Amino acid sequence: MENIGALAILLAFCLGIYSVAASLVGAWKKKPFLIASGERAVIAVWALIMVATGILVYALVTSDFRFAYVASHSNRDMPWYYKVSSWWGGQEGSLLLWNFLLSWYGLVVVLQNRRKHRPMMPYVVATLMATQVFFLTLNAFPASPFQMLAQGRNIVEVPDGNGLNPLLQYWTMLIHPPILYLGYVGFVVPFAFALGSLITRQPGDQWIFTTRRWAIVTWFFQSTGILLGAGWSYAVLGWGGYWVWDPVENVSFLPWLTSTAFLHSVMMQEKKGMMKVWNMVLVAATFFLCIFGTFMTRSGIVASVHAFATSNIGNYFLVFLVLGIALTIYMILGRLDYLKSEAELESVVSRESSFLFNNLILLASCFATLWGTLFPVISEAVTGEKVSVDAPWFNRINIPIALFLLFLTGVGPLLAWRRVSAEGLKRNFKWPLLGSLLMMTGLAAAGIRHPYALITFGLCLFVGWTIGQEFYKGAGAIAKKESMNLMSGMVELTHRNTRRYGGYLVHMGIVIMFIGFAGAAFNRDTTVEVEQGRSFQLGRYDLKVTGVNSGQTDNYVWQNATIEASVEGKPYATLHPERRIYSQSQQPVGAVSIHRRLNEDLYINFAAISSEAQKPIIQAYIFPLVSWIWIGYWVLLIGSVVCLIPSKVKMSYARTEVVGMAGKHEKVAK
Amino acid sequence: MKKWRNSFALLMMAGLCLAQTGDLVPPEVRRVGDRLACLCGSCKNTVATCQMLGCHYTAPARAKITAMHKAGADDEAIVADFVKREGKKALAAPPAEGFGIMAWLAPPFMALAGAGLIAWFIRRHRKPAPELNEGDVAKYQQAAERELSRFDE
Repeated sequence: MENIGALAILLAFCLGIYSVAASLVGAWKKKPFLIASGERAVIAVWALIMVATGILVYALVTSDFRFAYVASHSNRDMPWYYKVSSWWGGQEGSLLLWNFLLSWYGLVVVLQNRRKHRPMMPYVVATLMATQVFFLTLNAFPASPFQMLAQGRNIVEVPDGNGLNPLLQYWTMLIHPPILYLGYVGFVVPFAFALGSLITRQPGDQWIFTTRRWAIVTWFFQSTGILLGAGWSYAVLGWGGYWVWDPVENVSFLPWLTSTAFLHSVMMQEKKGMMKVWNMVLVAATFFLCIFGTFMTRSGIVASVHAFATSNIGNYFLVFLVLGIALTIYMILGRLDYLKSEAELESVVSRESSFLFNNLILLASCFATLWGTLFPVISEAVTGEKVSVDAPWFNRINIPIALFLLFLTGVGPLLAWRRVSAEGLKRNFKWPLLGSLLMMTGLAAAGIRHPYALITFGLCLFVGWTIGQEFYKGAGAIAKKESMNLMSGMVELTHRNTRRYGGYLVHMGIVIMFIGFAGAAFNRDTTVEVEQGRSFQLGRYDLKVTGVNSGQTDNYVWQNATIEASVEGKPYATLHPERRIYSQSQQPVGAVSIHRRLNEDLYINFAAISSEAQKPIIQAYIFPLVSWIWIGYWVLLIGSVVCLIPSKVKMSYARTEVVGMAGKHEKVAK
Repeated sequence: MKKWRNSFALLMMAGLCLAQTGDLVPPEVRRVGDRLACLCGSCKNTVATCQMLGCHYTAPARAKITAMHKAGADDEAIVADFVKREGKKALAAPPAEGFGIMAWLAPPFMALAGAGLIAWFIRRHRKPAPELNEGDVAKYQQAAERELSRFDE
């Protein structure tokens, strides 16, 4: 069976190379049968990777400990679903997951475009398959998941495996890596289309439409993956941190920032035919940042709590990155005439300018995050001395950038295309601005002194108000015209232009998340050693330890504490934080207990039992507003889905030629 | 076999518990600890925010901060002592001196460079639309009204 798996990977590798060659030669020599053959090779690669994946997963589920990978990352007593998730628990398996997802994307692209985008499809296929070949190289040679345990020349089987890292035995870890990878891997599709359009000098907008749609899908997966990771970190690590600016977290954030920038600036290309070079750069940057992120996590170049063991595959990534970036730069520079802007900018205060600033801010954040992540390495190379760049640096640099971005989120959508009059600015922003200033004053008067939190709350109201205003105005007009209620008007409005109003919903999700982030300024915690039957205080909560129990499952032994929380003498909640020691790894892991509410989470970690007095040591935390982060995500999800639904009214973005501008604006308005 | 293994795990748990004591963080330690990185290698927190009980770096670091405070050392002196012993990596953020200043200057510099690029782009691509005369305005207004009336039908 193991031979079939390894053979399937090798065959897929060979067919991948064939697909690249057949597509390129077919396009060059104009041989349709070669192009078709290249596309069919994509399907064959998909089938072979399915076979290889099936064999690995089967070996994991059946605990076939002849496989070195199975023995290293699973054990007999793990539940079957964690055995399946061991697939991406180690280096070789997670690279196979890359291949698995990439082959699915390849298959979907080929099947979807049997009649569309024919001139550029050979190049799209070649780009997809070149990336696939790179990852298959890793799985076929330096990181094969089908290596067997051997003694001399005999394959041997160990009685039990080492088990999966206990921190990964949590439900979000079942879906976090595949979803994040769907986002990472998926961006190869927009990149392939962008490159294909560049090579073939595609006229028209159809390819932009396809690229943008794929970019929304992959952006959505990236957002979901990042948020799932944050949720895992919050619920598993025992201290409630959902984002610590760890290098691996940072490199997952970088492509998200550039793809967000792309999703905004691509509108300039669709509507005005502008920023074509920039959009190419953003698509390419996002794709290469995805690869760079994978390189960072696997090369061991920076120390991270999430990184895989250091290995030599980092060099493979480096070669791929250098070649890929060089080729892309060459292609862009060689086709600058094709990427020439079709329109001019009429006014500095306009929607167009807001996109420019939005891109500037997103890219500034991307650069700052990349710089902070790499600075320890750069500093050591230059000065020979190690430095640490931890959360305080990232927060000091990125919080002001994020707040400015939040401000633009409110301003940008209300600016008109081409130009905005002073009257228009006043009409749109007067009340939201006054409202937010009033709220900030009120909060300051109520005793909130944290400047960033105050500004965040003010901006959240400002942006929320402007978005609400847009919905209200549009829905009100439709409701009046169509004689329907306001809610139906909103649905109708959204359906008429799903992209615009879906985008507003995504913005609203981000606003809601920012409310949650601001809550971190008011976190409180205490660590106490407390006897059974005694209580301690944290904020308004009286927390009483009423019992400590222990027991065992097949996979781990556990100890849990029962803690009764009361507020002003009234029972509030019962929490059961737990400590576990996993039988195979002997690693102690906490399972925190969280009482989630909109205003704050009460979060309890059973940290240990004290050595001297044998008393439970409890870490208790209050995390205000943290639930808003997860609620914000759901709003973002709904917004993303709405963006993907076709609009009821087809928008045609005519590349309008500006014939002139009225000298007196009022005259036209009459 | 499994019974023996689990019993061993229970013993291990007891052993680990015995090896740990509570780390209560005095408020004054948080202030200094916020400037110092936890160098345990398992987290990216500061000495103030590391929540690992019995962390082999943070626990003694906190004890040292407390002791130095009691001995009358101010925040700067404590931080300087950590840097002297551990090097600059003891700081949670690079110092704003020497090459470390690059950490602080590069992001705003790049943002300014980006703003400059936008200014250049706007200057290069800005082309205010020409003024329309009365006749043109009337023509477009008529066209708009014609379109709108068709829409009403």
